[in-house]
Amino acid sequence: MIKTDVIIIGGGATGCGIARDLALRGIPHCLIEKGDFAAGATGACHGLLHSGGRYVVSDPVAAKECYEENIILRKIGEKCVEQTGGLFVRLPGDSKLYRDRFLKSCDKLGIPTEIISSTKALDLVPNLNPEIEEAVKVPDCSIDPFRLCMLNIVSSQKRDGIIFIRHKVTEIIKEHGRCVGVKAADQVSGELREIRGNVIINATGAWSHLVARLAGDEVPLTLSKGSLVITNHRLTNMVINRMRPSADGDIIVPNEAVCLAGTTSMAVEDPDKIRIESQEVDTIISEAGRMLPHFNDMRVIRAFSGVRPLLKSAKSDSREISRGFQIIDHGDGLFSIVGGKLTTFRLMAEKMVDTVMEHFKLNKPCETAQLPLEGQEELSGYPLAKRLANMKNIICECELVSRAEVERIIAQTGTRYVGDISHRTRLGMGPCQGGFCTFRALGIMQEKSIISPAQSMFALRDFLQRRFRGIRYCLWGDQLREEQLVEYIYLGILAMERK
Amino acid sequence: MGVTQHDVIIIGAGVAGLTAGTLLAERGLDVALVAKGEPTACLSTGCVDICSLDHEPLHGISHLPEEHPYHLVSRGVIREALIRFQIIMEEMMLPYSGSLENNRLVLSALGTYKTTCLAPVTMAAAPQNDDDDLHIITFTGLKDFYPSYIIARRKNSSFSAYNAGVSTTMGLAANFEREDFLDSFILWLEKTKIRESKIALPAVLGLESAAAIVKIIEERVGKKVFEIPTIPPSMPGRRLFNALKDYFRKKGGTIYWSWPVSGVEKTKNIIEAVITPSEGRPNSLNAKAFILASGSFVGGGLHARRDTIVENIFNLPVFNPGKRDDWFDSDYFSLNHTIGKAGIIADSSFRPKDAPWENIFVCGGILAHTEVLKNGCGHGLALATGHAAAVSCIGYLK
Repeated sequence: MIKTDVIIIGGGATGCGIARDLALRGIPHCLIEKGDFAAGATGACHGLLHSGGRYVVSDPVAAKECYEENIILRKIGEKCVEQTGGLFVRLPGDSKLYRDRFLKSCDKLGIPTEIISSTKALDLVPNLNPEIEEAVKVPDCSIDPFRLCMLNIVSSQKRDGIIFIRHKVTEIIKEHGRCVGVKAADQVSGELREIRGNVIINATGAWSHLVARLAGDEVPLTLSKGSLVITNHRLTNMVINRMRPSADGDIIVPNEAVCLAGTTSMAVEDPDKIRIESQEVDTIISEAGRMLPHFNDMRVIRAFSGVRPLLKSAKSDSREISRGFQIIDHGDGLFSIVGGKLTTFRLMAEKMVDTVMEHFKLNKPCETAQLPLEGQEELSGYPLAKRLANMKNIICECELVSRAEVERIIAQTGTRYVGDISHRTRLGMGPCQGGFCTFRALGIMQEKSIISPAQSMFALRDFLQRRFRGIRYCLWGDQLREEQLVEYIYLGILAMERK
Repeated sequence: MGVTQHDVIIIGAGVAGLTAGTLLAERGLDVALVAKGEPTACLSTGCVDICSLDHEPLHGISHLPEEHPYHLVSRGVIREALIRFQIIMEEMMLPYSGSLENNRLVLSALGTYKTTCLAPVTMAAAPQNDDDDLHIITFTGLKDFYPSYIIARRKNSSFSAYNAGVSTTMGLAANFEREDFLDSFILWLEKTKIRESKIALPAVLGLESAAAIVKIIEERVGKKVFEIPTIPPSMPGRRLFNALKDYFRKKGGTIYWSWPVSGVEKTKNIIEAVITPSEGRPNSLNAKAFILASGSFVGGGLHARRDTIVENIFNLPVFNPGKRDDWFDSDYFSLNHTIGKAGIIADSSFRPKDAPWENIFVCGGILAHTEVLKNGCGHGLALATGHAAAVSCIGYLK
């Protein structure tokens, strides 16, 4: 049995942010995540560090929070935030009235804007639709959500925080009406761990109502599915937004070598049963194509959906529900934190930990807004210059990841999961989506005796099924061609069994 | 524009195109092959799968749905095409082993078995069941071969790694063509005290001389040796392509290499020429007949758009198995992805159905309803339909 003060359930941006905050305030804690970091809404978003512009008209409170956090993250995460800047582009037919309200509200909230002509906008982003009326420049940025989680975890690990990933909380232990701990099952071995703590924080986003139910508590939640597509090229160096009330496919964000475009918004019931539909993919492409015409004939390498955990509201259109967040004290030692956005994760964590400090009657102030994120040097990605410096023994040809780099990550983390290598090196994230390199990465793990061949066969099957779910709805053109080749390799040349 | 005249022009240098080409050349026709690049055969295991649905491959064909293009070819012609293939490969020093009466197994790099009919002789000694004890050789740093996958499934097997100083499939294969390299490798093998009765290696034993190299190793080490096909670049696939290509040239065929077809000249019922861009000016390749063997999606014969599937060169009518959402089954491993049915429907003379031209024939992977993976008919179908399309073309030219 493990004893700690605070148990955090959920390894998304919020949970990881809470772990960092607790660590900096010297509170012992343990974070439990059922999958990998950023496996829920955190990892299924644009990776947009909002300037607040998207919400200025509909939700000024959330917009202000976004802008303040945007400034803080740019400062504390200098190396992991890409300061791309963003444009809100107004196309012929888009309401000028909305644009006026947008500018007025930005002004009121202190979000800096600059109106630029279509010519100037085309200078900044040559792929823009030349027919745009004008653009408004805002301080949007791009951020890698997975890396952000990892960076927060570094601070926790340096201060003896206990982290369990791939552990699912199956029970919240209650004694005399108080939550005193959890039981978590290792998702690989099935082994059950008992962890005891004084306070339990439920930061499980779209799953928070399900986790709260383990303690007999309720979390009022509205789930909204949002879908995104990834292209194999970086079509813009700036974030591109559509100057209109939020609608499908109105944001395009550059991230490393690719672009993400989305989203859609549809109410859903079960966070584990969502799938993207072809129609959504087509809508996103055609809407994004109105801002960047090349989008229409670009190769889409992946399409996926995430679930936004929104505060329950009477509003029927999920786009109108506030992007604000809420802390719920269930009165039995369990707290749930719901709503919010990736951009405001730090603020959410701060408020959550403030509540916990009050509960413990301690008062050490929050420092997460002042101290730079630790570990940025090694986690600042795997830039092209580094890739090109070592072209020997390339394991992943799409992203130029060498065997040496893969071996280094395996040695450093002892990981049994190819996903952990991917998140650190971009292995398998290119056009073939791991079709070639996963077989190799698993083979190298076998050579290093990290996993058994039986485990790697299981991992390979699992990987191929999951990979297929990600690409299933964007299979046409070259991506379909690539997919047919990968299918031929695994089911033909390697003769993988069907069952 | 440069104008060149041939009797027949074949588009695509895969197994189907080369089979048709060699047959036409053997019959004395002036035949030219236009290829935009290496065929998908180079990515393949080199094995000829005829039909894996039954232990007897030719019998398996009768289990296929009636729209399958195999049914356009008589059993006699299929047999003739396969026998002819074996004779050609024998002549090109890359003999194939196996019998048309029974399917056989080839060991895969995951330790599973792939069902095929004719396998390159370098795979002849592959075990047909789990009993054989194997000693697997790998090469230090080779990224596409991990013997532990195989060892986990076979008791009494072990492996050794040879440090060859190179670690790519192509690099190793090129080195094996050198006598001194082969010699040092064999000396090392002799020093490695191998207990097992058979030696298995990834398919890197030479660019072209693999059959001879296997024989040399077997003679000197005194044990059976066989190759295991690897993921692309696949040497056995490449050897198959090179052998057919060389045979085609030997018979007087012309190859326009790296020339993509960019246009077509046609009248109402005749294709007159295909246009290819080349240095400085386009070329018009004129012929009396054309054979389209440009492959399926991977080969580039077909192209899927978001809402439709097109044939890239003549814009022939394509059979589309359904809406995009229905192209793939939700289970990756089911082999029931209906996209495998997409392609050109041919009539009994191998002319594309519903196309107005009388002098064009289609064969190989571009045909509709092939479902090559599901039916296990890779290369077998290409040989049969390539042969039959060529025969039909000869009939037309008479």
